[in-house]
Amino acid sequence: MRIGLLTEGGYPYVSGDARLWCDRLVRGLGQHDFDVYALSRSERQRGEGWIELPPQVGRVRTAPLWTAGDDGAGYGRRARRRFAECYGELAAAVCAGDAVARDAAGEASGGGSSSAADRFGSALYGLAELVREEGRGLTGALRSETAVRALESACRAPGALHAARGARIPDLLTVADRIERALRPLSLDWYDEEDGLGSVDLCHATSGGAAALPGLLARHFWGVPLLVTEYGVQLRAHYLGSREESGPARALLAAFHGRLAAEVYRQAALITPGNTHARRWQERCGADRAKLRTVYPGMDASRFRDVGERAECADPDTLVWVGRIEPGKDLVSLLQAFVEVRKARPKARLRIVGVPAGGPVGAAYLAQCKALAVQLFADEAEGVRELGDDPVPPVPPVSFEEIGGPDLPSLAEAYAAGAVVVLSSVVEGFPISLVEAMFCGRATVSTDVGAVVEVIGGTGLVVPPRNPRALAEVCVALLRDPERRALLGAAARARALELFTVEQNVAAFHGIYLEIVSHCPVRRAAADGTGEPLPFAVPAEAHVRGRWAESGTRSVAASGPRWAAGTPSGPGAAGAGAAGALSDSAQERVPAGEGTR
Amino acid sequence: MSGRRQDVDLPGVPGSAAVWNAGSDEWLVTADAPDALDAPDVPGLPGSSDESSSRAPADPVKALMQRHRELCERAVDPLEIAAGLEAHGVTDRTVARFRHRDVFSLAEEMYARVPRDGETGPAVAAVKLPKVRAGWAVLALLPGAACAAAVTGLRLTEDRPRLAVVIAVMGVLAIALSLRLALSRGSLHTTRAWRTTKGTRAWTCWILAYALLGDGLLGAALAGGPDGWPNGGLDGPWPVRLGSVLALGLACAPAVWFAHLFAVRARRRLAASRTLEEFAASARPLLLGVFGLFLCVLSGLLALCEVLLDEPVDPAAYAGTGALGALLLLARLLTVHGFTHAPAVILAAAGAAEATAVASAFAGRLSGCSFLAVPVETVVGAWGAGVVPALVCGAAALVLLVHATRTLTRASAHADHGGTP
Repeated sequence: MRIGLLTEGGYPYVSGDARLWCDRLVRGLGQHDFDVYALSRSERQRGEGWIELPPQVGRVRTAPLWTAGDDGAGYGRRARRRFAECYGELAAAVCAGDAVARDAAGEASGGGSSSAADRFGSALYGLAELVREEGRGLTGALRSETAVRALESACRAPGALHAARGARIPDLLTVADRIERALRPLSLDWYDEEDGLGSVDLCHATSGGAAALPGLLARHFWGVPLLVTEYGVQLRAHYLGSREESGPARALLAAFHGRLAAEVYRQAALITPGNTHARRWQERCGADRAKLRTVYPGMDASRFRDVGERAECADPDTLVWVGRIEPGKDLVSLLQAFVEVRKARPKARLRIVGVPAGGPVGAAYLAQCKALAVQLFADEAEGVRELGDDPVPPVPPVSFEEIGGPDLPSLAEAYAAGAVVVLSSVVEGFPISLVEAMFCGRATVSTDVGAVVEVIGGTGLVVPPRNPRALAEVCVALLRDPERRALLGAAARARALELFTVEQNVAAFHGIYLEIVSHCPVRRAAADGTGEPLPFAVPAEAHVRGRWAESGTRSVAASGPRWAAGTPSGPGAAGAGAAGALSDSAQERVPAGEGTR
Repeated sequence: MSGRRQDVDLPGVPGSAAVWNAGSDEWLVTADAPDALDAPDVPGLPGSSDESSSRAPADPVKALMQRHRELCERAVDPLEIAAGLEAHGVTDRTVARFRHRDVFSLAEEMYARVPRDGETGPAVAAVKLPKVRAGWAVLALLPGAACAAAVTGLRLTEDRPRLAVVIAVMGVLAIALSLRLALSRGSLHTTRAWRTTKGTRAWTCWILAYALLGDGLLGAALAGGPDGWPNGGLDGPWPVRLGSVLALGLACAPAVWFAHLFAVRARRRLAASRTLEEFAASARPLLLGVFGLFLCVLSGLLALCEVLLDEPVDPAAYAGTGALGALLLLARLLTVHGFTHAPAVILAAAGAAEATAVASAFAGRLSGCSFLAVPVETVVGAWGAGVVPALVCGAAALVLLVHATRTLTRASAHADHGGTP
């Protein structure tokens, strides 16, 4: 099977996001051919080169997303008119009411504003077809007066987005510029039936947004099924990232990105969010719940095997915190909680392992935490020194360490050093350090933020964020109870091995690829070795909608096991044999696909 | 821990971790040591201990809205509030306190409850001026200075031909270099995407060379010459119009200044206009005014140069140089604003027309081809050799002016094309 892997600013660039994950996926699924279609995010990224590619990567096509490639060529009169029509449609669909919120509500109540989504889709594909026929020149057109005028009239139209009505000309120019940037993938030369995206069996977009756009077009032009994996929802990142634009411009851009996301989710065969949080956002943006499969990111568990399987930990009184030091991790609360822990367990130690996050904020926060630690535990350090009888030099109650020193040669050793691993964040995405602690079989105490509860399940203790007292109580309880610690640690390790390994990630995608291809195969004209078309290679019945297998005749299933005959149709029926799958695709997928064409 | 970024397996979106943590800086302030130790009584968030919940406000959502007032006020839709709340650590479990199922429904309530006074204020954004590198205004004087130096040098070495050639070559090099410097910044600086092509550059050089030498060559060619190399004056076998080139060089400075004026004023009007038509209507007089101002300054410079260099007044040559200056300014303005096609075509056409005039004058000398030189002879006979560039450049400038009044008055021409993000 030939997989088109679509990335944006990621694999195979050395400095790409998610390149490790993509690399493992590609290496893990060696039975498939991968064509990588990569969009680079900056000139620097392109200059840094690629990582080493395994042999199953057949072809890598790259394109810059950071430069417009505007050659100044303009469209002819007819193309201009077509562009004006398509762009006007697009602008009207973007400005038509509250895009995302009302869509979700409308779809829940059985349609409603789906016409706006249709208009957006058809306008998008209209632009793509224009590029295919006219060649270059879309960039200039997207920035032209025609585009700005279309946006203006869409904003002033009755029933337009309330927040966009006050858009002034600079706002419109900003919006036109951002839309041009977002639509740059339309102008790529990847859309080719012979050796482009038309030749793959499945497009796998490793993120939403720009990376999914080529997949959308391949779906539109040749019916190539699209799989979208999102570990963080692009729309959400857009909301958090747009700070400097004015209100109307942000409203328009949010509506545009919302529509684009909805179109991607609508056309995708399957969507694989990386966690429940992403899944909720996708559902909110109009993703069909039946298409969503959560696939957790995988992590290399072998590094933690030794520590995880080791019976006893080093120090039963040590708490460990591992992570990047930044304000969102709320180490201040942790230190305050540790004061309480010290009161109950005087021998307790807290080892904070990590480097400050990049930038001045992280360094300043580290300095602040160190100062606070000195201030909070100054008396105790003094007291220990005054005793004087102890031949061993006094151990500081709180230590800030980095991995690589003599004490902590590796990350696994850092986790091994503690009896309990603590996570005190107030904001958190997918908590990596928690997963690592689970792999190491440590009992964990974490705050209830981000995906923590989803990751930890019942295998660790969770307290509300910003509550040092609760954190302290739970830590003390765990420090006092080694049996419970061991139990929780073992359960955590078992859970992590079940859910968060690389193997499960690769296996999940293997299954998903097969499921998609069995459900919505690309229908291509069959050809023999010399390229001549082969008539009757695909039986005419293959295109007939409806059920192939005669229903009710049990004898049909005689060739297979009896339970297979009664398999209900639907997404779960992927392995129910070619006939069943074809009937599924004929019934469900094909009409949807043809309806958009 | 320096290798930690590599250890992270999360296939995140661009900076997903950073996105999560965006806006959390305030914990540095709010979670100050003594307060947070006593009771983390953050209104609207769980984790407050039991005694605080008894004095919790009756309307927890209102307290939350007060806390996130800025977020609520600037939000353009509920999802933006939801994203902001999540970035501040609000999760689906914590919103149960506000009697909501998830963050989205809470965000919707908050969005609906934000008082919105109809219009979103007269948000006249601060005018973002085009970014220019420092020193542009001074650097614009360089071509004029180089021209003046070269002309002075040629005048001083009139009786030593070898030295004059050296001075001329150095002068041309200096002028080219200074022109490059002057146009490398300021409002006449082209961005990478709209660089002028080599062909356009060659035609521009040809037209400039014609302004210096062409009239003399054409006149001499029609008279049967030229009988020798130019000697730097108007009285030689191949007359050279140093005055026009000096005036053009000096006009670089006002051109750059007026282009900057146009860019700044256009940005202001862009920010002030309500509709595209309004902007176009206000930009047209601006463009014409700036253009007229430049023409006035250029003619003043021409007159000054002729007086300084003691050249005889030739109205045709005077008009030709003026038209050439106008043509070059308009071509550059159009190129800078992204309309590269028309200037390239017009400059090539003008250059070709001038070349044709000279070529036809020489071709007329061939036996049997004398008819070829008739049009040029007629025109030059009536008004002098300077009429050719005057006609050609005047027509070209007129075409570009009409084009510019249509294109440079569009709002899209003044968009901020930052290039790479």
